[in-house]
Amino acid sequence: MNDFSSNFGRQLRISLVDKNIQYEEINEEKLIKFLGGVGYAAKILYEELEKGVNPLSPENKLIFATGPLTSYHVPGGGSIEICFKSPLTNAWGEARCGGDFGPDLKKAGYDYIIIEGKSVKPVYLFINDDEILFKNATHLVGKMVSEKNKIIREELNDNNISIMCIGIAGENLVNMSTIMNEGRAAGRCGAGAVMGSKNLIAIAVKGTNKAKAVNSDAFKNSLKEARNVIRENETAKGFREFGTIGDMAGNDAAGDWPTKNWQSNSWGKGETLFDYYNKNNFVRNHRCYKGCPIGCGRIATVKKGKYKTPEHEGAEYESISAFTAFVLNEDVDVAIYCDYLCNEFGIDTISVGGIIAFTMECYENNLLSQEETDGLNLSWGNSEVLPILVEKISNRDGIGDLLANGVLYAAQKLGKEAEKYAIHCKGLEGPAHDPRSGKLLAVTYGTANRGMCHIHPLEGMAYDRGKVDWGMTSYGVPDPKQIDCWDENGKGKITKILQDGLVVPDILGVCKFFMYAGLTLEHYANLLSSLTGIEYRGEDLLKVGERTINLQRLFNIREGFDIKDDVIPDRVKQRPLFGAYKDEDRCVIQDYNGMLKEYYQARGWDTKTGMPNNEKLKELGLG
Amino acid sequence: MNRYLPVIKIEVKLYTVLKKFANGKILEDNSIVLPKGSTLQELINFLGIPNNISTIFLVNNTPQCKEYILCRGDKVKIFSFICGG
Repeated sequence: MNDFSSNFGRQLRISLVDKNIQYEEINEEKLIKFLGGVGYAAKILYEELEKGVNPLSPENKLIFATGPLTSYHVPGGGSIEICFKSPLTNAWGEARCGGDFGPDLKKAGYDYIIIEGKSVKPVYLFINDDEILFKNATHLVGKMVSEKNKIIREELNDNNISIMCIGIAGENLVNMSTIMNEGRAAGRCGAGAVMGSKNLIAIAVKGTNKAKAVNSDAFKNSLKEARNVIRENETAKGFREFGTIGDMAGNDAAGDWPTKNWQSNSWGKGETLFDYYNKNNFVRNHRCYKGCPIGCGRIATVKKGKYKTPEHEGAEYESISAFTAFVLNEDVDVAIYCDYLCNEFGIDTISVGGIIAFTMECYENNLLSQEETDGLNLSWGNSEVLPILVEKISNRDGIGDLLANGVLYAAQKLGKEAEKYAIHCKGLEGPAHDPRSGKLLAVTYGTANRGMCHIHPLEGMAYDRGKVDWGMTSYGVPDPKQIDCWDENGKGKITKILQDGLVVPDILGVCKFFMYAGLTLEHYANLLSSLTGIEYRGEDLLKVGERTINLQRLFNIREGFDIKDDVIPDRVKQRPLFGAYKDEDRCVIQDYNGMLKEYYQARGWDTKTGMPNNEKLKELGLG
Repeated sequence: MNRYLPVIKIEVKLYTVLKKFANGKILEDNSIVLPKGSTLQELINFLGIPNNISTIFLVNNTPQCKEYILCRGDKVKIFSFICGG
């Protein structure tokens, strides 16, 4: 006898059109099949969205999804996934961030919030256990993120609430806008624009409920075991001491640092820039949610000068790389300032850095005149223009209006040669990892359902280059130490298994970094079994992962995506134009299509169309 | 180390999580003395860096593999992999 719905199993469906609130019990069969997070959300969006829906229309839905393990008590359980059809890519969209919002939403008694329709006037929601209030948000429009948070807390007279809000970029329907949970960004795919299109400015949440595990002794033991693994793990210690930015110099050395709009995979400046940051900008480490046993977050600042900032959460590897290596900027203070500015405007640092790099290359090649750039000199490394462009994009001002639609749209508009400078997969701008440092990353980029993101393809980079096995060798993944990072043979099959396993944290509602820190599918299965009273094994979770990836694939296929969209940019396959690897032939991707074919075969997908075959869909219960 | 064997002096710099392996082995001027003919693998063995830690080497700012044979005056930088970023 299971007890799935006693711990979770309730969702809020909120219509902004008529302020209607429905408290829905979740169908248990769906929960068992999809578990939660991006799995359950994929099921809802696939069932409830019409094909071809305009992502910024009231018909799109915005799902705030926790998972069964989202909790302050579970390592990595401070997590929230937001799922929707992306305005940036017109494909499956998801954006995740750490923070208190996820566990607090659970404490309020809900696993999911499904936002529908559009409010006539700007509103924000206050969820306080069973009481849901619609609050006027007209006065919040045009305010920076930290200001919005401050005003909401004052109005609700409560400092112990969690808030997710959009910034000015989301209000302006910028396709790369974020939803912010304090200094953490649910950053990718334009979640902020979807929320902005609904005139929903923020959601504040507070809860007093306590979830109880079905088998609480076993749950406590599983938690203890997981915590012990993390306590002893060297990667966890490295995370805590150096943060994600700690890998900047190493990635540069390894050819895993896309530079000058991906003209190279290394720059040779990573060490100097990191040393500068460490000496001048780093304040302390930070836990993004209460009780995180790792604390990889950073508090950073620019102490003085034109780019002075308050102490703020930021300085993540991706963000600082986007405002340094991507655009050839050597001024770390400017990069820290741009990161801060992006979080205040509510806009994705990775996509913004990517599109500025694209714009600089277009400018260099006379595809954009200085007049078309509003008089800005967009030469490589001109740090002064970076914050100006962040602001212009957020406000859709001048050239910012073109860039706010994303690199794919901008390239199509500019025409001529611009498309070859647009580095993206499925319309999502590329992050700061380069497949020329390990070929697995090429396949994970090309086949990731949300495009060229920095989360799902992580497994490829870490396996090939970092030799991290993720505890997946018992599921058919070879020991990465035996694998040559530049070899292409076998990479398609490995990608399939790693993708199925590494999507599991996003389904369970926990932070993926904890799998770096030694947690495995077995640890999660033990936690889930004791929590729910249903016996799960690692391979059961792997199957839910596979089901989820296939369902998201079906979502994309319905939106018109197919095999031709599983590509990576030509430049990313070629020998770097400069840097430490410019003479290294092994980093060239020789047979991407061969790796892709192997991947399709491993997935049970048609190698000519990329469609999941009927047998596979039937096996996964999707047929 | 046998003092009658020919030796070479190189410069070594360790980064982030590897810094702790420098203690007592890398001198204040960042130098290390190793037997002539030593490889990068032998260098990390000497430093006590476990083989399960993924490492990247730059020698004179050029990427090299563990089999690289060190030369007098080489400037070696060793990076590890924390999480990739």
